[in-house]
Amino acid sequence: MKRDWINLSLGAFVVLFFIFMLAPILIVVLVSFTSAGYVSFPIPGWSLKWFARIFEYQPFVDALIVSIEIAIGATILSCLIGVPAALYLARSRSRWASGVMTFLLSPLSMPMIVIGFASLFFLSWLGIGISFAALLITHTVVCLPYIVRTVAGVYSGLRPAYEEAAAILGANPLKTFWHVTLPLIRPGIMAGSLFSFLTSFDNLPISYFFGSSSTNTLPVVMLSYLENQFDPTIAALSTLQLLIAVVALLIVDRVYGIDKMTVAG
Amino acid sequence: MSDMTPQPTPPRPRRLLLPLFLALPAVVFLIVFFVAPLFDNGMRSILTQDGWTVSRYVSLLTDRFYLGIIGQTVLLSAGVTLISVVIGYPVAYFLVRKAGRFAGLIIFLLIAPLLTSIIMRTFGWQVLFARRGLVNTLLVDELGILSAPLRLTNSPEIAIAALVHVLVPFMVLSIATVLQGIDTRLEESAKILGANRLRTFWEVTLPLSLDGIGTGAILVFMIANGSFVTLVLLGGGLQTLPLMIYQQFNTTRDFGMASAMSMILLVIAVACLFAQLRLVRRKGA
Repeated sequence: MKRDWINLSLGAFVVLFFIFMLAPILIVVLVSFTSAGYVSFPIPGWSLKWFARIFEYQPFVDALIVSIEIAIGATILSCLIGVPAALYLARSRSRWASGVMTFLLSPLSMPMIVIGFASLFFLSWLGIGISFAALLITHTVVCLPYIVRTVAGVYSGLRPAYEEAAAILGANPLKTFWHVTLPLIRPGIMAGSLFSFLTSFDNLPISYFFGSSSTNTLPVVMLSYLENQFDPTIAALSTLQLLIAVVALLIVDRVYGIDKMTVAG
Repeated sequence: MSDMTPQPTPPRPRRLLLPLFLALPAVVFLIVFFVAPLFDNGMRSILTQDGWTVSRYVSLLTDRFYLGIIGQTVLLSAGVTLISVVIGYPVAYFLVRKAGRFAGLIIFLLIAPLLTSIIMRTFGWQVLFARRGLVNTLLVDELGILSAPLRLTNSPEIAIAALVHVLVPFMVLSIATVLQGIDTRLEESAKILGANRLRTFWEVTLPLSLDGIGTGAILVFMIANGSFVTLVLLGGGLQTLPLMIYQQFNTTRDFGMASAMSMILLVIAVACLFAQLRLVRRKGA
């Protein structure tokens, strides 16, 4: 009987925990469908007008486009330099390899606000200050680790036998890479790219420092909107973002498996 | 495991030890656009118009006001970490030992919020606790417990709750990973030898899962230390280093001071990184 009591309270605690986890998110989804002109409870009726409002407010539309461009650009750039590095590090027996790996992952451990602040001054000194290029470069700094980590993770779990076979059969290194290695590491690239995309898409502490009418990202515009207004448009925008995130997560699960990417350390 | 047995044909194509230059672009990129800006930031924190000075660091580390801010930053992160351990551990334990077929659902519920925008979650807390938010509506109109709505937003408690909300999944996943690896026969032995459930947990399970708590704690502390979006919107009068950097940049525009504060934040982050590496290395040994 005592055992049941312990299990029951543990279960109840977990239920409470998930209410805590989900309440602030679900409430925003709820508010995004309100017909009221302000945030209030209970919701008087249902409407999609706040979703329409997103597309009527030009700064949101502009920022959404900038955010998507930056997120895709930083992800591509991270893949271009990150995938070769990950391949090298996953197989290297050099004693420097683990140090280099730590270095490539280290941007994840640094406070983003410091990276943003420092980069603004440094890139201004280089002459590219507040610009699309500067934003792209700085986002790549924090996206790169995701690509390196997931691709190295997948690649180090692969047997070299496939590539050896290709080489023995006469394929040159480039051919081997294209026809053997790349298909094998594709799940890692996919998963890393999605993390990278979402990290960039949601980034505020870096983007904030590079804000201008042509380089404002969605989170930056949302923050300044929230500082002055408190209406359901932000809820509608957030719901839209959540939708993108959930779809992305489902894709990752399909191709990669959720259990392989749990620990962020 | 059969691929571990030695092959009869030893000569491996040497190409498989991929050349070092593959890592070069990424390393050079980070040296130029990650290390150099931070180094430049360090220089800015000690340079003045006519020379150099450590006066900014002296005032950061001796002035009561600045010491208070550093103290509050560390205390807030430590508090958030502690709360995350306390509420995260039972969830991790449930996930690994009790969840059974619900494990997939629980992992999904833990990860899904990690991918929602930080603004959404902060906004969610504002909506819950606003003057006409859900909590006040329940307390005043529905239940009639209160006669007037409470002023709940912009209180430190809500900001702490919001930070825990963002960070506790990292803790749960770190602890769960280690719990997963604990041999349950050790717990069974303890029980057979007469220990009750609580004693078994306290003397067997908990000590064996300390590494998971450590990993999670460093991770949570590190992220909490640099967090600022939550505090900008839900601050509640809390003053932390990231908030001060934000304010220095926006209003005071004392960039030298903001740089010095960044360096302090950076030193804490590097200390966490080293602690993390030590832990990982010990686990690997």
